[in-house]
Amino acid sequence: MAPAFDTQSGTAAPRLRIGRWRAAGLAAVLIAYLAATAYVAHTDLGLQSLVLVAAVFGILAISLDLVAGMLGLYSLGQGGFFGIGAYATTILANDYGWNAFGLLALVLAATGLIGMAVGAMSLRVSGLYFAITTFIFTLVLTVLATDMVTVTGGLQGLLGPAFPDFPASLEWLGTPLVWCIMLALLACLGLVWNIRHSPLYPILLSIRDAEPFAEAAGARTAAIKVGVFGVSAAMAGGAGWLFSFLGVVSPSQFDWSVSLNVLVMVLIGGINTSIGPVVGAMFVSMFPNVVNINPWLQEIVYGALSILAITLLPDGVVGIARRALARRAGGIAPAAEAASAEAMPTAPATAASPASPTDSEVIVECRGIEFGYGLGPKVLRNVDLAVRRGHIHGLIGPNGSGKSTLANVISGRLTPHAGEVLLKGTRVDGMPASSRSRLGLRRTFQAAQLVKELTPTQNVMVGLFDRVPRIVGRAPLWPMLASGRRDLAAMQRRASEALSLVGAGDWTARQVADVPHGIEQLTQLASVCVAGPDIIVLDEPATGLSAKEVRHLAAILANLKTQGVTMIIIEHQTRFLFPLCDRVTVLNAGEVILTGSADEVRADPVVRQVYLGE
Amino acid sequence: MLQFVLSGVAIGSIYGLIGMALAISFYVTRIINFAQGELMMVTVMVTAELASSGYPVWLAALAGLACSCIVGILSYVIAVRPILLSNRFSFGWLVSTLGFAVIVENAAAYIWGPTSQAFPPILNGISLPIGGAVLTAQQLLAIVTAAVLAAGFEIVRRYTLFGKLGMATAADPEMASAIGANTTIVAIVAFAISAIYAGIAGLLIGPSTFANPYLGDTFGTYGFIAMMIGGGTERPIAAMFGGLLLGVCAEGANALINSQASDWFPFIVLVLILIVSPKGLFSTSNPLFRPRRVAVTRG
Repeated sequence: MAPAFDTQSGTAAPRLRIGRWRAAGLAAVLIAYLAATAYVAHTDLGLQSLVLVAAVFGILAISLDLVAGMLGLYSLGQGGFFGIGAYATTILANDYGWNAFGLLALVLAATGLIGMAVGAMSLRVSGLYFAITTFIFTLVLTVLATDMVTVTGGLQGLLGPAFPDFPASLEWLGTPLVWCIMLALLACLGLVWNIRHSPLYPILLSIRDAEPFAEAAGARTAAIKVGVFGVSAAMAGGAGWLFSFLGVVSPSQFDWSVSLNVLVMVLIGGINTSIGPVVGAMFVSMFPNVVNINPWLQEIVYGALSILAITLLPDGVVGIARRALARRAGGIAPAAEAASAEAMPTAPATAASPASPTDSEVIVECRGIEFGYGLGPKVLRNVDLAVRRGHIHGLIGPNGSGKSTLANVISGRLTPHAGEVLLKGTRVDGMPASSRSRLGLRRTFQAAQLVKELTPTQNVMVGLFDRVPRIVGRAPLWPMLASGRRDLAAMQRRASEALSLVGAGDWTARQVADVPHGIEQLTQLASVCVAGPDIIVLDEPATGLSAKEVRHLAAILANLKTQGVTMIIIEHQTRFLFPLCDRVTVLNAGEVILTGSADEVRADPVVRQVYLGE
Repeated sequence: MLQFVLSGVAIGSIYGLIGMALAISFYVTRIINFAQGELMMVTVMVTAELASSGYPVWLAALAGLACSCIVGILSYVIAVRPILLSNRFSFGWLVSTLGFAVIVENAAAYIWGPTSQAFPPILNGISLPIGGAVLTAQQLLAIVTAAVLAAGFEIVRRYTLFGKLGMATAADPEMASAIGANTTIVAIVAFAISAIYAGIAGLLIGPSTFANPYLGDTFGTYGFIAMMIGGGTERPIAAMFGGLLLGVCAEGANALINSQASDWFPFIVLVLILIVSPKGLFSTSNPLFRPRRVAVTRG
């Protein structure tokens, strides 16, 4: 039962022209890049090694930015994967005479798998502990490389293999290794750029900033994290493969300080930007060659510069440049400034039809739910709840009575200790939240879970995750695929339509960080409605809204009901809630004390005593 | 057997002290100060320098501690505070504290040269036979000092207002300052204390390692492992337990496997422990032995 969108066409022609300009610019940059590569391929060895080392570190920095910038996983394991790639290549090529390109495939696959294993293990912990676990991974590998002298040559290291030559017909191109490394860097840049211009990007950021939101939208967040971490590890392993052709491979080139230096590169260049990591890598790796003084003084200057960079430019060089450019462009005019928050157009059909069927099938059912946090007291005790299709079912009760916990049990954030949850007759209490989304259940959160640095439109697009096929698989090539461009345009259109439908259409171009609270709530609602769900769980949707906004919200919900959407609404504002509801359940101290119509609930003496306070 | 346990406990208390130093600054600011090992090195270098120019050892040691204290506070003011002020949850401190460590280490190498220098023996010359084993008086001093400092910190943390302020600052600096705590002072005092802990570790180990500008790297890493094994990120004293375990493992590996085993064996232990309990052996998330909590309400 997808809400009917009225199709709106409009800005197609100018967009096409912009697209053409952009393509021309892109082609020019590409040609310049290849020309520069050709130049480096013919120049002297000193400059070559300077550029190539910077490029290899550029790939490493991109690999880190992929997980740190987009997923918030600050991996200090990049040095370890880098080392695995370099050592595997060197040992297998030197001692066993394996083919270099065969080794590349092997290294990518092996480091990717190891990365997924490390990722799966480290993801049991988050944030800082993820950084520490991956740090220890690198530490252990360095110790192994140092101590397994017979295999790795110990601290002395090993001399890397020679890179295969061009066939005679291509010799005019110059040094083959230069082409290989520069094309690899280009491929990595392209991969990340594509992901950043695919609908996967808002989803990755929502996993980073608002994981419950991404899960509720149907994204299997743990699997995506592990997968992306595997890609990042493979990229770092590939950088190690390239690095082994540049000379000696020894433990000090892969120890934890390398992992941290890669982080320095990313942060200095600009985290979560396309070219920032490469800029940072160039700066850090070329620094010792450009500043040629006493090595200790040089290190001191390097340390001081990295502190200065991180304190003065927290967004990195690219972040600063971008902000300066945006300021010069005059800032995207905040068009509908004061008009919007208060005077929201009450667009959607306001007529709430009370003629809903009273005896329709039960669509959500909870039986004997028991739940408690940790060792504490039970928060839900033997809770039964039955919601009929097409109903609006209110859930009220004092603070701490278990309303939000019940919503989390229904939507899959929490697994009940006992009891069953049924959605459309299917038992779902063992399923993760993402699978329940596929059954047509969506939810909103009491404190809006959104990505602050994206626009409301992009946030609403997250809601379409499981409505568009193969987003993850297509993301690495997205803008190059005709189907990708078409789907992205369709998603953007549906998202902005959903936003105008809830009355937040004027805010599509702003960042969520800059919109008022009411618009955040509406964005959340739009991200749920855009997917056309059958069942919506709303956790205190009216919190913090003005009286006018609450009336507007009531109109939207009534309209959704006419489209046959079932809703479970947790709310304290009974004046807003009761007129909407077909049934109301009252919870107190984890137990259902009454389920009935709004009037029955209002009249009940016990409810008056524990909750309504009359 | 007794020999490696005793010498393991002795070296472990050094690791534990550095681990606690890391944990104390982590406790208040939720950052890991990568310059912690360098703070220990500063004490060692300054003490060695002053002692060799003829000052009495106790004065040189005090001056060394004072210097590392100053450098520790500087590390907070320069590398930590600006980052936390702009964004409390950013990872910029990884970069800035490492940058600070690089500066301190290379400044020391620049001033004193990269080679080792003499360090006053303190109590290292006296041997004490215990059962079938022999400890130097210095090792015994290390064990006793570590025990006193660990217990002392735990008492301060649990039973004084300052300890509770530390907890409050760690959990929510804005709230803590809203109720009138000067979070900057709390953090500075924590960094000073952690610098002193690291410095004392340096004084205790100096007679056997001598004074070298690169000491900080090695001992910083071992201190970090001690903290992670023990779960010092939750309670600083757990870092001391982790240090003791690490010391005994390393010495035991040397005695029972071969003389190089202490280079890698502790890392295996670390990985095993983190696989079982990602936040450390003595942390509340350990599935094997969870510290007892209020279970009264159950049933």
